[in-house]
Amino acid sequence: MTRADAACQGGWPGPAQPEAPVLMRAAGLTKVFQTGAGTVHALRGVDLLIRRGEFVAVMGPSGSGKSTLLHVLGGLEPATSGEIWLDGHRVDQLSQARWAVVRRHHIGFVFQSFNLVSNMTVADNVELAALISGATRREARARQEELLAGLRLTAKARAAPALLSGGEQQRVALARALASRPSLLLADEPTGNLDSANTADVLRLLRKSHVQGQAILLVTHDARAASMADRVVNLFDGMIADDARLPPEPGRPAAAGIPGLRD
Amino acid sequence: MVLVVAGVVTSLLLSATLLEAATDPWRALFARTRGADIWLQLTAGTDARPLADLGGVTGLAGPYQVAAATVVSGPLAAPVRLWAMPGMPAIGRPLLRQGNWLTAAQPSGVVLEASFAQALHARVGSALVTEGLDGSSVRTTVVGIAATSDQGLYPDQTPGLMWVMPSLIGWVEPVAKHTQEMVGLRLSSPAATGFVLQEAITRLGSNSVISASTWHDVKQSVDGEDPLLGLLLALFGLVALGGAVLAVSNAASGRILVQLQELAMLKTLGFTPGQLVGMLIAEQAALGLAGAGMGVALSGLLTAPLMRYVPVGLLAAGTLPPAGWVVLIAGGTVMAVLLATAVPGWRAGRVWPADAIRPSAPGGRLSRFARAALMSRLPPAVVLGARTSFTRRLPAALTIGGLALPMMMGTIGIGFWATLDTMQRHPAEIGLAGALSVRPGELSEAQTSRIVAADREAAAVYPWVKVSALLPGETSAITTIGAGTSARPYPFHVADGRLYHAPGEAVATQSLLDAVHLQVGEYMRMPVGGVYVIFHIVGRIIEPEYGGQVIAYGIDTLTQAGAVPPPFSYRLVLRPGVSLAAAEAHLLRASRSRLAVAPAANPAASLGIMRPMLAGLFAVLGLIALTSVLTAAAVGLRDHLRDIGALRAMGLTPRQIMISFVTRVAVLAFVAALAGAVCGLVLSARLIDLVGQAYGIGAGLGSAPSAGATLTAMAIAVVAAGLAAIVPAARATRTPIATVLRPY
Repeated sequence: MTRADAACQGGWPGPAQPEAPVLMRAAGLTKVFQTGAGTVHALRGVDLLIRRGEFVAVMGPSGSGKSTLLHVLGGLEPATSGEIWLDGHRVDQLSQARWAVVRRHHIGFVFQSFNLVSNMTVADNVELAALISGATRREARARQEELLAGLRLTAKARAAPALLSGGEQQRVALARALASRPSLLLADEPTGNLDSANTADVLRLLRKSHVQGQAILLVTHDARAASMADRVVNLFDGMIADDARLPPEPGRPAAAGIPGLRD
Repeated sequence: MVLVVAGVVTSLLLSATLLEAATDPWRALFARTRGADIWLQLTAGTDARPLADLGGVTGLAGPYQVAAATVVSGPLAAPVRLWAMPGMPAIGRPLLRQGNWLTAAQPSGVVLEASFAQALHARVGSALVTEGLDGSSVRTTVVGIAATSDQGLYPDQTPGLMWVMPSLIGWVEPVAKHTQEMVGLRLSSPAATGFVLQEAITRLGSNSVISASTWHDVKQSVDGEDPLLGLLLALFGLVALGGAVLAVSNAASGRILVQLQELAMLKTLGFTPGQLVGMLIAEQAALGLAGAGMGVALSGLLTAPLMRYVPVGLLAAGTLPPAGWVVLIAGGTVMAVLLATAVPGWRAGRVWPADAIRPSAPGGRLSRFARAALMSRLPPAVVLGARTSFTRRLPAALTIGGLALPMMMGTIGIGFWATLDTMQRHPAEIGLAGALSVRPGELSEAQTSRIVAADREAAAVYPWVKVSALLPGETSAITTIGAGTSARPYPFHVADGRLYHAPGEAVATQSLLDAVHLQVGEYMRMPVGGVYVIFHIVGRIIEPEYGGQVIAYGIDTLTQAGAVPPPFSYRLVLRPGVSLAAAEAHLLRASRSRLAVAPAANPAASLGIMRPMLAGLFAVLGLIALTSVLTAAAVGLRDHLRDIGALRAMGLTPRQIMISFVTRVAVLAFVAALAGAVCGLVLSARLIDLVGQAYGIGAGLGSAPSAGATLTAMAIAVVAAGLAAIVPAARATRTPIATVLRPY
């Protein structure tokens, strides 16, 4: 068994489930920053496994390297060392241009802020993501309308992002991330700046997409958000401190990664 | 951004047009009109066809029938040569400026030559009366105005030129024997002009040839108008170009800087760096092209009115900037935009998205200096604002450069303005103390000196003789001037040394000293008026009237050496407050119009075009500076937007925040203005001296811009920069705190 597989065996020994195929595997990830004040080791040998359809939450105190982990997994930053395998292909050594193509088809991002292009309307923002992933114009339009409707944002479809409230912007960001039907959704504290009502909205959408089979890696402070996940990974000082499988609850999807189960 | 490029392209194109018009107007027109190198005036009926066979002749123009006449326009009457040219020929084709050419449908229509038309105040549609030598008069209407390279400008060269239908010549001058023919020869090699001319006269017989003029004669009469102007324009143009390039690059890279975050976002979505850089370049190129197109259109619109103000423009080849320049300037500007985009764009492409997603202004600590300033009760807003001026080194440097260069040019421009002022208001300082020149005219010398001595308007009268002398070792003659006597020398403006006080002493201009390789204090021996005279050069003067190479001495030096001076004329220095016209009129009355009185030539008159040009230049420089300021403001806003929220939470009022923001820009502007003004002051006097030296007037012509004017200019620059920054600053402070503090 590889180190990555062994790491995932810990936690609640849930009922034996048919294991879904591995979507992303990271082994020995390290990231070192050189700043004016000295060297910062943001990640010190992180191993992680994410299966198709799995919902993984990453928690930890601030400064533990959660965002860095997300950036590295998504190709927004090059890792100092380590391997990343996405769908059986090695991706950690890719150039920016190749990573961009990978992101187009396989990875969706939601950040805490600065998600939207300011000089395009909300609808355009969502459509852009779909278009760039290869959908035809009609498909992209259809997907955009469906997503915005699901988020009750159809009325604001033609507004500029600056006119929306924080919560609405994050919902749009989520719609945009999902518009390209990525294999993996990477979300960095999407509810960090939101009030409880908006948080509930965003979480509801996350859960809905998870039920539809979306693999999600969520970095969060919010315990309620983490509780929706199949697995919670705790990061401390750049290393994984804990990787626990959460017990299934009524209302939660019975098995991680089995597509087709409706909420 | 579009406006910047448009402004830059317009101004560059206009200066290019002026430059070309000013430096060699005649040649450009000659090429455009396919002018003839030789024009022969022949008696009527001469067969000119044999001329076509002459060696070196590539084309024959004419023969055209011409006749002498007088044209009357309102109160003005002028001698004119009527030239029958029913259609547009291949050689010597006049360049139609306004209106239409002659048509058979309007036989009484005429086309005037441009300088002639200006002298007559005639426009298209004006009615003129053309009178023949025998008194027959015909009413004619101006249907067009054209320029030609075959003849010098009126009134330097008379008679004026008017193209007419052949039938009109028949009406004005019915006797064919009293008309003449004009035949033009176009040569394969202009150098052979003299030779071919001789051959032509031989072939036709000197009885048939009344007069001849060559391209060389015409060029000489047209040129020499303003080589000074051309050089100055070239200098200005070069520096304006530098400033323009800076402004354009600053604007282009500023735009990218502001967009870094969104670029990172797009990369997250899946755009490759190559695609993004391509998009950026395409966007900037489109803006650049739009701006260039606008600039070309604007300059096309502005060239025609501009040309009307420029005397040289009468001869300029066309109302549109020449195509070559257009392509060069427009293309060059767009290239500059692309380059200025490519470099920061490429860098932005290489940066990993994560670094750009969280925008951070470069950091820094509160320096001890700033801390002390804060503690000393300086307004905190000002200190904070000043502190942030230099957070980004490269954009700050670009901004300062982009502002200092226009400032320097502006200072030099002020220097030129001051020099022009001096030349016009204080001619004594450039050696033209004697405003009026009086020659005996029809009176005898004794009578002249009596009238002149009795003139009450003159503060001083100096006898004046001009004697040609041969420069030792040279074959060309120079001007020597006996001005005043050694006891009472003419008050030249002495730049070095002193005036002559004893017989044998003399002063000379820089160009003369250079030509004979002498310096002040040395001796020179020269034949003057048939006698060898030894001069002791005691001073260097500025003397703009006689084309530079001048040596001046007391008239008694001549008489002592044994030469007989020619008849005196007199230079009058008028008393302060006496106007030139009044003094002139008075003298004419006293002598019953028999004295020849004329004002001394002041080169400042022909440089009058400089003032509107300088004004235009200032406008362009202002535009360039404005761009730099706006870019600096935009970059600063992006960097410090989030700080605004924090500062307000700390207790700074919105007004203080605005002050801090404006201060930031103002500090940059102040540094730039200071640098620019200093450079400009240093260079201004030097530059004018250089130009003066190059054209023989000699160093010392330049007046440095006055301290007051410079300080005012600096103050205007800083205040204007501050004002320009107010708009973005106000916008920033008006946004509610929540929006600012919100991460998006």
